[in-house]
Amino acid sequence: MSAASVTVLPRRTPPTILVVEGDVRIRYRVSDELRAWGFKVLEAGSAPEALTVLDAVQVDLLVLALDLPVAGSGWDVVRHIRERPVPTKMIVTSEDTDPPDSPGPFVRKPYRAAEVARLAAHSLNWPSPTQA
Amino acid sequence: MSTSSTNLSAKADTPLQTILVVEDEVLIRLVVAEYLRECGYRVHEAVSAEEAILILEAPEVSVDIVFSDVEMPGSMDGFGLARWVRSNRPETQVILTSGAERSADIAGTLCEAGPLMKKPYHTQEVVDRIKQLKATAKRF
Repeated sequence: MSAASVTVLPRRTPPTILVVEGDVRIRYRVSDELRAWGFKVLEAGSAPEALTVLDAVQVDLLVLALDLPVAGSGWDVVRHIRERPVPTKMIVTSEDTDPPDSPGPFVRKPYRAAEVARLAAHSLNWPSPTQA
Repeated sequence: MSTSSTNLSAKADTPLQTILVVEDEVLIRLVVAEYLRECGYRVHEAVSAEEAILILEAPEVSVDIVFSDVEMPGSMDGFGLARWVRSNRPETQVILTSGAERSADIAGTLCEAGPLMKKPYHTQEVVDRIKQLKATAKRF
C-alpha cells in the first residue's frame, strides 16, 4: 500500500452521555455498555442530580428514565432541557408506554443495554465497537 | 468538566481493579469516578449505601475496593456500609471519607488503611490510598 493511499483521520473526542436512572442496577449496566462503545458516560440517580450535572457539564445526549422513583420525575429534566437555548438530544425510557409527546426515541423497560447504545450511536453519529 | 491527569501510572499496574464510589454529592462522585477511570480503574457509582449493597450483591460485579462517604442520606451511613462489607464481602476493602472531624476515630477501626480521608481531598490522594491498600494486601 502506498503512503498516498492512506488517509489518517483525527481521533474524535468521545461524546458525553448523561444516564439518568433511579434503579442503580439498570444505571450501571447501561452505563457500562455505553462506555464499552467508547462514550464518556456520567451518571445521575435522580432528577435533582441530573439538573446539577446539566448546569455544570456539557452533555451531548441524555439517556433519561421518565419513571424516576424519588425527588421529581424525568419530565422535570425534560422541561429543564426544553427551556435551554440549544436543547440536548434525549433517549427516554420507562416501564410505561411511549408518551405521545416523547422528547426523543423511546425504549420501554425492560430493555437490553445494547439497544440503548445502538440508539445513542445513531443519534450521535458514533461508530459501533465493531466499526471503530 | 476536566479532571487532572497528573498521575496516570495506575493504568499500567492495576488494569482490572474495580472501585465502587459511594457519594451522594453528584459532582464530587462524578469527578472522583472520572479521575479513577482515567487512571485505568473500572468504576461503579452509587448514590447511597443501599445502592452500594445492590451493586455489591450483583452476581456479575466483583468490587475490590469501596470508596465511600460517611455522611449519606438513607437508613445506612458509610460506617454501616463498612460493617456490611466486613460481614458480607470480607475480601473487599473499604476507604471512608468524611468532612466531619469526629468520624476519624471510628473510621480508623473499620478501615485497613487507617483513619478516614478528610474532605476536601485531591483526587490523586484517592489513587494513592488505593495503591497503598493494594500494596498492604500483597504483603499478607
